[in-house]
Order: sequence, then structure tokens, then C-alpha cells
Amino acid sequence: MTETERDLDAMLAAARARRDDLPDGLAARILADAATVQAAQTAGSERRLPTRGPGFWAQLRGALGGWPGLGGLATACAAGVWIGLAPPDFLPDPVTLVYQDEADLDVMGGASLSEFLSEDG
Amino acid sequence: MEDLTSSGETVRGGASGPDPDDAALLVLFANGDAEAARELTGRLGPRCHSVALRVLGNRAEAEDVAQEAMLRLWRIAPRWQQGRARVSTWLYRVTLNLCLDRKRRKAAVDLDAVPEPADAAPGAAERLQEAARIDALQAALMDLPERQRQAVVLRHIEELPNPEIAGIMDISVEAVESLTARGKRALAAALAGRRAELGYEDD
Repeated sequence: MTETERDLDAMLAAARARRDDLPDGLAARILADAATVQAAQTAGSERRLPTRGPGFWAQLRGALGGWPGLGGLATACAAGVWIGLAPPDFLPDPVTLVYQDEADLDVMGGASLSEFLSEDG
Repeated sequence: MEDLTSSGETVRGGASGPDPDDAALLVLFANGDAEAARELTGRLGPRCHSVALRVLGNRAEAEDVAQEAMLRLWRIAPRWQQGRARVSTWLYRVTLNLCLDRKRRKAAVDLDAVPEPADAAPGAAERLQEAARIDALQAALMDLPERQRQAVVLRHIEELPNPEIAGIMDISVEAVESLTARGKRALAAALAGRRAELGYEDD
């Protein structure tokens, strides 16, 4: 190694000795930027929640288990309507049940309303 | 400007792979941890500043570049992809790109290169000579072609391994070796005539 090369190495070593110097003002400015960016990023992620929250139908769909849940619900509704209109043999016909109830229920104990009203005190 | 930053995300990692500590700190920062910002500034701020100072040869501009490079780090924190590249590799690359942008914008001889600050502390005479030597080194660095100067600074001042320099500069390891060898020869030649002036004769 020549003298000049040795000198160069010494100079590079001197420059290396100062490479970790960070001017105070610069460190403060970098940290100020960090605080600003951090505040904006944190505020950004919090703000998204309320403004972009799911609507009523999205919440309902979620509660019922998504589109498959809604499909199942629709099928069950349609089956209920059909059973109501045309019940299978093993189920009582709701229409007959209503008429029977009316027939069985005689609050007047056999007396007719006109008889009751025409009686004088 | 932005494309320089985003292209930095695809930087090849160094030989030693991803740096879990810096990356983990970046995740903490993205989660709002203020202490992580201080730790990252302490670790990486001097790296940006040192490289920018030696590549630009101007203190005010080096500070601006270091601040801008760190700002880009803060901004990318929430989108940082773990394991893609070392944080320091990405940051060196962003810093060098910002230095290049500055040079292109100025495209003129830099007349206000700020010399090493004078020092009145004990041993000031020796420190003054050391400052003069660093100034001479800086002047010689500024006479190198851009890529040689970048490679010499990363290799001999930042002391990075050649594969990491290759990742930062996006060239092969052989190209790094060639650039640093040629750069060092040119520096030695530039300084050969200034030995007496820099006080090396009495060493």
C-alpha cells in the first residue's frame, strides 16, 4: 500500500468517525414530521370506521349469515305461505280451525242478541 | 419523485436478508407508537444524513434530503411489505434518488459547499487539521463521476457489504467492485499532490 493510499484510508476513517452525527435541528424536524404523519395516519384509520360503516341492509344480511342466510330465509317464508294455503294431510287446515273455533265459541250461552236486547228491565 | 419511492419497494434485499428490527419498529410506528419514531430516527436519520452529505457535499441540502427521505419512510410505514427489502436498503436508495433529483435541478457548480465546522474545543488544532482532511476528501469525492462517488461513499464511509450496495444501486456485485476500485484510485490520485498541505508529512 502506498503512502497516498494509506492517507486516503485515514481520511475515509475520519469521515467515518463523523458519519453518526445528526444535527440537533434536523433530528427535531424529522421527529416533527413523524408526529404529523403519525397523527394523520391514526386519525385516518379511525375516521374510516363511522363514515364507512355498514348500512341497515348490510347489517341485517350480516346478522342472518350473508346471502346464503337470506336465501334460506326466503325459502322458509315461501314454504310457510304454501303450507298455509295448501297444508299437507298430516297438518290441520288452518281455515277449518278458524271456523271450528267460531262455532265452538258461544259467549251468549245460546241466547240470541235480539232476545237479550228486547228484554225490558 | 413518487415513482422513485415506490420503485424502492422492490429493491433486492442485502446479503443478510430482511432486518426484523427496523421493520418491526416501522410496524409499531404505523400503529401510533411515538417511541418507535424516536428509535428509527436515531438509527436511520444519521444514515440518510451521512450519505446525502458525502454525495452532495453541501450541509443544508444534505439536511433537506435526509428530512425528505425520512418523511417518505414515515408515509410508507402503514404499507410497508414485510420481508420485501431491508428498511435501510430502501432508505439508502430513496436518499440517493433524492440527491440525484437535487443535482439535476441545480445542474450547476455548487459554490456554497459548506466546510467542516471550525472547533474551539481543546485539541482544536488537531481537529482543524482533521476537518481540513475531510474537506479535501470531500472535494476529491465531488470530482468523481456520480456512480463512483455513490459506490465509494456506501462502501468506504457507510461500510456496507457489496451485495447490499448492489441492491441499493440496482447493479451487479461486480459492477460495485469495479466502481469502488476506480473511485478509490481516482481519490488517491487527486490527494497525492496535497500530502504536505494536509499535514501528512509529519505523521
